[in-house]
Amino acid sequence: MSMMDNLAAGFGLVANFQAILSLLIGVVIGTIGGAVPGISVTMSVALALPFTFAMAPINGILLLLGVYKGGVFGGSIPAILIKTPGTPASSATVLDGYPMAEKGEAGRALGMALWASCTADMISNLSLILFAGFLASFALSFRPPEFFTLILFSLTIISGVSGKSMLRGALSAVLGLMLATVGLDLIYGTNRFTFGNPNLMGGLNFIAVLIGLFAIPEIMAVIWSPGDEHGRARGLGANRVSLADYRRCFKAILRGSTIGVILGSIPGIGAAPSAFLSYSEARRKSPHRENFGKGEIEGVAAAEAGNNGVAGATLIPLLSLGIPGDVITAIIIGAFMIHGLQPGPLMFVTNADLIYGLFIGLILSSVFLFVVGSAAIRVFKYVADIPRSILFPGVLVLCVYGVFAVNNTIFDIGVMFAMGAVGFLMLRNDIPAAPFLIAYILGPLLEDNFRQAMLMSGGSPWILFSTPITWIFWALTLFSIVAIIRAAMTSNRQEQGSMGF
Amino acid sequence: MKAGLLGIVGAMTMAVSAPMARAEYPERPITMIIPYGAGGTTDLSARTISEPLGKAVGQPLVMSNIAGAGGATGTVAVKNASADGYTMLFGRVGPHSVSPAMKAMLPYTLDDLRFVAVYEINPIVCVVDPKSGIQTVEDLVARVGEGGVTYSSSGVGSLQQIAAVMVLREFGVEDPVGAATHIPQKSDGEAATSVLNGTATFLCTNSSPLAGFVKAGQLHPLLTTSEERLEGFDAPSATELEKPALTRLVGWTGIAGPADLPDELVAQWSGWLATATEDPRFRQRMEASGSIIELMSPEDSDSFIRGQYEAIRALVDELGMRIEG
Repeated sequence: MSMMDNLAAGFGLVANFQAILSLLIGVVIGTIGGAVPGISVTMSVALALPFTFAMAPINGILLLLGVYKGGVFGGSIPAILIKTPGTPASSATVLDGYPMAEKGEAGRALGMALWASCTADMISNLSLILFAGFLASFALSFRPPEFFTLILFSLTIISGVSGKSMLRGALSAVLGLMLATVGLDLIYGTNRFTFGNPNLMGGLNFIAVLIGLFAIPEIMAVIWSPGDEHGRARGLGANRVSLADYRRCFKAILRGSTIGVILGSIPGIGAAPSAFLSYSEARRKSPHRENFGKGEIEGVAAAEAGNNGVAGATLIPLLSLGIPGDVITAIIIGAFMIHGLQPGPLMFVTNADLIYGLFIGLILSSVFLFVVGSAAIRVFKYVADIPRSILFPGVLVLCVYGVFAVNNTIFDIGVMFAMGAVGFLMLRNDIPAAPFLIAYILGPLLEDNFRQAMLMSGGSPWILFSTPITWIFWALTLFSIVAIIRAAMTSNRQEQGSMGF
Repeated sequence: MKAGLLGIVGAMTMAVSAPMARAEYPERPITMIIPYGAGGTTDLSARTISEPLGKAVGQPLVMSNIAGAGGATGTVAVKNASADGYTMLFGRVGPHSVSPAMKAMLPYTLDDLRFVAVYEINPIVCVVDPKSGIQTVEDLVARVGEGGVTYSSSGVGSLQQIAAVMVLREFGVEDPVGAATHIPQKSDGEAATSVLNGTATFLCTNSSPLAGFVKAGQLHPLLTTSEERLEGFDAPSATELEKPALTRLVGWTGIAGPADLPDELVAQWSGWLATATEDPRFRQRMEASGSIIELMSPEDSDSFIRGQYEAIRALVDELGMRIEG
């Protein structure tokens, strides 16, 4: 069959009421699930999965993809409005989204998040359709040594989200790295810092750490200094995103989408590092660099482009190699298998109509995301109108519920409050939370890949320099560090004198 | 703090459930703990059976993922639960036969659980990269002799790890732990990927996640631990290769309660599972992903699991693979 025939067959599959309705329902479920803190995209997709068993394959898979896409955008809503990332991937959106909401620009931030998300989503889908084969072979050349150098490079993001003081950012990152060592050792299977407590054996729950670090300190701050100003609403202010905003951020969105597509096509990285990398690149390139972290709309655009750019690209290894790119696509594989379909190179031969049907559905999903997202913003943005004295107790309840829901243990709620106390101390001392989070995500990846590489080579470090990809990332790392040091030397702030790198 | 919390929760559960246990069981929803995260093999199996099983039980089954530490966290939650039949566990080969045999510091033992059934079996398939030039197990063993052979798994104390070691051992490698290097990964998917991209030489894992790769020619199967040849895998079975010991090496999913689960509840569960596993849609879905649906009685399940545990334990002790930390 020629491509045209396949395309026509694909249209035949998608151009029916059930398929389109499934996709739409998926996007709605995803957006709502993503917007509720604690219900991650992974969980929404897993919960929707059993319902797809009885559906036609294309409808079921479209529904799950809809949930995925809706969820990645939905996570930005609470990130902007209540400083609580709805999903880990929207952590980077908090950095500028929440300050914008504080300034009374919640509507503008949400609008930009949506525009950036939809643009990145579309670019990601097109990359899947056009470059799947090329990107898939690229993805397969990522083995532990390549991963190690990529993660090492990504750690230089920390300088971009450290705010004014590099030393404070580094301190925060070190704390995150240390906390990430709790749990089972990957290579030896031994317990590390678990104190014989089975709850600690799996490491600290990521969502509990995330919510504890971002949302709880805000609530504590209100309790710490109660005052009249909390009774007043923040007001909506500049409420809509303008075309001029979009045009100004367009380069950042494109860059973020590209980062998302590349990182998304490599299995095992996920959307959160991509969002942070995109954010730090946007900051590095921006003429308004000093505004980042204080409510810069470009920061919101970059973060959301970075995480949505991943969503279509994670399907590249899934469809072309049969490898799940992240936890969510691992669940979606289940949906394929239940219907007796096996994602992988053969699928382009045996079920080409289904693949093309999925492609058409994906393009459609970007449009649906825009429609559903606009409606969601219209509903949710009034949250910004609620006085804090009423909003924050509600947020606290939502956080407790959400953290419990992830793993059904009360222990996690304790972790959330303990991290909340740490986060509050950090907030009071101007220690930024973002480096902590990045280190917490990347630290274990860095360690595991390093040790896997050492197992591969029998202990010889030269494996870390063995392929062109590793050379590229070593060069990029070196370049970043030089750039950071130069920036530090030209600036006159005294803290920089003592920075470690 | 944690002991205190658990104590309070435990006391509350007891206070609520003690009088109810005398009433007709089950009269309220049953919590089914899945010791793995959403979307994995265990989760998928659990959620697929939950539909016909819920109908047989006549009460809603609340599926609750308590993931972490290779299944240990969820298992401990059931170990500490009251044995009133309202908290049950999905058992799986990794946490409930391999880990207890390998890990000294595990916070539970097999004696803390009472199995009501094993309902699903997945044979193991060993695969290599077709470009590696390894065609048969003998080729692999020869390559091990030359050195530099590695194998992946979904983690330390997983079925994949012990399977690789057991296969090499059965085919005459004296010290498989020293002769080949184990490169643990974090999930089944990553373990397969690491053979595809050349990080590891071979992998032995459940047939279902490998079926697609083998069919597409991305991975080459060397053997299956089934008695008969597996459909879709052009490789000799353990029986054909005259290695009957390897047929013990299979993945499984089952259901367990706390150790002192009363006999009448065990019998009730066994009956419900008999109904549920007959459901044609359930069978078709599970078989589509390569599983064999075979319901074992509570006694058979127990002796099957203990038999597998003993076999692995003997190998672990012989090769000094026990993890003490």
